[in-house]
Amino acid sequence: MSLASLAAQLLNGLASASSLFLISAGLTLIFGVTRIVNFAHGSLYMLGAYVAYSVGGALGAYDDSALGFWWAALAAAAVAAVLGALIEVGVLKRLYAAPELLQLTATFGVVLIVRDVALAVWGPEDRLGPRVPGFADAVYVAGHALPEYDLLLLAIAPLVLIALTLLVRRTRFGLVVRAASENRVLTGALGIDQSRLFTAVFALGAALAGLAGALTLPREPANLGMDLAVIADAFVVTVLGGLGSIPGAFVAAIVIGVTKALCIAAGNVSLGAFTFALRSSRSSSNSSSWRSCCWCGRRACSARRRRCRRRPQSRSSARW
Amino acid sequence: MTRPSRGHAIAAGVVIAFALLLPLAGDEYALVLAIDILIAALFTGSLTLISGTGGITSFGHAAYFGIGAYASALAATHGYPFLGSLALAPIAATVAALAFGALCVRLSGIYLAMLTLAFAQIVWSIALQWDAVTGGSNGIIGVWPPDWLAGRTGYYTAVLGVVTLALGALAIIAFTPFGYALRGGRDSALRASASGIDVKARRMQALAIAGGFAGLAGALYAFSKGGIAPDALAIPRSVDALVMMLLGGQNALFGPLLGAAAFTWLTDALGRATEYWRACVGVVILLIVSAFPYGIGGALAVLRPRFRRT
Repeated sequence: MSLASLAAQLLNGLASASSLFLISAGLTLIFGVTRIVNFAHGSLYMLGAYVAYSVGGALGAYDDSALGFWWAALAAAAVAAVLGALIEVGVLKRLYAAPELLQLTATFGVVLIVRDVALAVWGPEDRLGPRVPGFADAVYVAGHALPEYDLLLLAIAPLVLIALTLLVRRTRFGLVVRAASENRVLTGALGIDQSRLFTAVFALGAALAGLAGALTLPREPANLGMDLAVIADAFVVTVLGGLGSIPGAFVAAIVIGVTKALCIAAGNVSLGAFTFALRSSRSSSNSSSWRSCCWCGRRACSARRRRCRRRPQSRSSARW
Repeated sequence: MTRPSRGHAIAAGVVIAFALLLPLAGDEYALVLAIDILIAALFTGSLTLISGTGGITSFGHAAYFGIGAYASALAATHGYPFLGSLALAPIAATVAALAFGALCVRLSGIYLAMLTLAFAQIVWSIALQWDAVTGGSNGIIGVWPPDWLAGRTGYYTAVLGVVTLALGALAIIAFTPFGYALRGGRDSALRASASGIDVKARRMQALAIAGGFAGLAGALYAFSKGGIAPDALAIPRSVDALVMMLLGGQNALFGPLLGAAAFTWLTDALGRATEYWRACVGVVILLIVSAFPYGIGGALAVLRPRFRRT
């Protein structure tokens, strides 16, 4: 592997680390305050991608209009925030005292419902989003194309990290969030309305997930399998970064994103006598359809990642 | 959980008698569904031992199911006899459970749930990516029971026998001193170890037993479907087991059977009735969790004394 292709893979990894960080930051923020691990976080991410697709289409983001995509991303974050708040109020409020098992299972129920809602609204086909105006081209370094959009994503994650850090360290809301992460009971005793706080934190985390989904859309098509695919990665990132720690999630997202990209670039890995073809675990439940795509790690594929499209998901494999 | 009583034995006898009469109805599809229910009941029963009795939250129980299924399917396709392949499944799953238990037995709560989930994901990706051995996303096909069990009725009877014995064993294990030691560790690990119970060792043994029974369920599944694919050990199957356990009641003796029967029948009926059966299952999950956290079995246990009084 040449240095330039290594750099290309590194950029690829960092770009996916960027959206992974947005998702994990929301997950870890929610866990820090409410102590709930939210399976449905991946669904909010998926919904963000679909909403950005539809709103982007309505706003003309496909005709290279300048701001359509960004409005679509904001709309996706807003829709996810509202849905996150609804999930919190409707489902999780009753479960804060319940064992983890019930909480995780309940949020999985939400995953199933959201997936079928997405199926009913957007259908089983993959939906590839618009190229972002102004970031549609690639920068060529030593013959390797580095998509401009990946470079943009690279800048977004640190910006979000700074914004979240400022929010948590410098505002009254952040003060309350930190206090609740330390000691929920005492925070309640000091006259903070926990119920509203939890809903607000859930909405914030959900908005981050929705935003991440929207920002992923120009790189990967929105599809019905992306909820569980991303939640597994996000769990790993949040645990690795320390549950509840946003800077930890940032570092862990970079570690996971880059490791994954490099493993994919390395292709086959020999362990003893056995040779594994390393593929992205991103493909989750319907991975067979990713095979011919270079996003899956097949070195034979020469198509550029953003041009890759999955084959329509077969109905038989869709039934888990 | 109430101790097994004569009433339970009679109820079990009635259920088994009905189950034995089922092939006489001559409905091929009912048999297929019944085999699914029995296998799901064994799978759920094994989870109930560690999760309900032992308090070990497992979010990746499908891993043992899948390991058992793959072990027996591989053995069968490499020419091992049926009974040998079937016996290999619990052994492989027990070994996996012991290896993984060594890592996770210290943990509790959310970290345990996450780690079991991660373990299941690792096993799932190995099954998916090790094309040469596991057949990748296509899985292994051509795994059928031998001629003397070839008919639907024959295989159904065999599954009924194996599952009855296995569920009976699980019910007995839950009320041995070992089972009580597990409960002690679940309710108060500190107090249990102060009274001389080696909580970690008991948990390891419970994991090994549960893993073995889950593996057996996996092998029965592989032979009933004629093959095995990676989605048999994906996250949704682990959640299926949890839902069936919650549906039946974590601490009800007949919980696994009730939960498996209700859930399997429900998903089958919904799957045939509507394209959006997943959302219906999701609504059912939310209902169980928020309204009936003790499941059907728990609801029955609450209702029974009321009926007696009146």
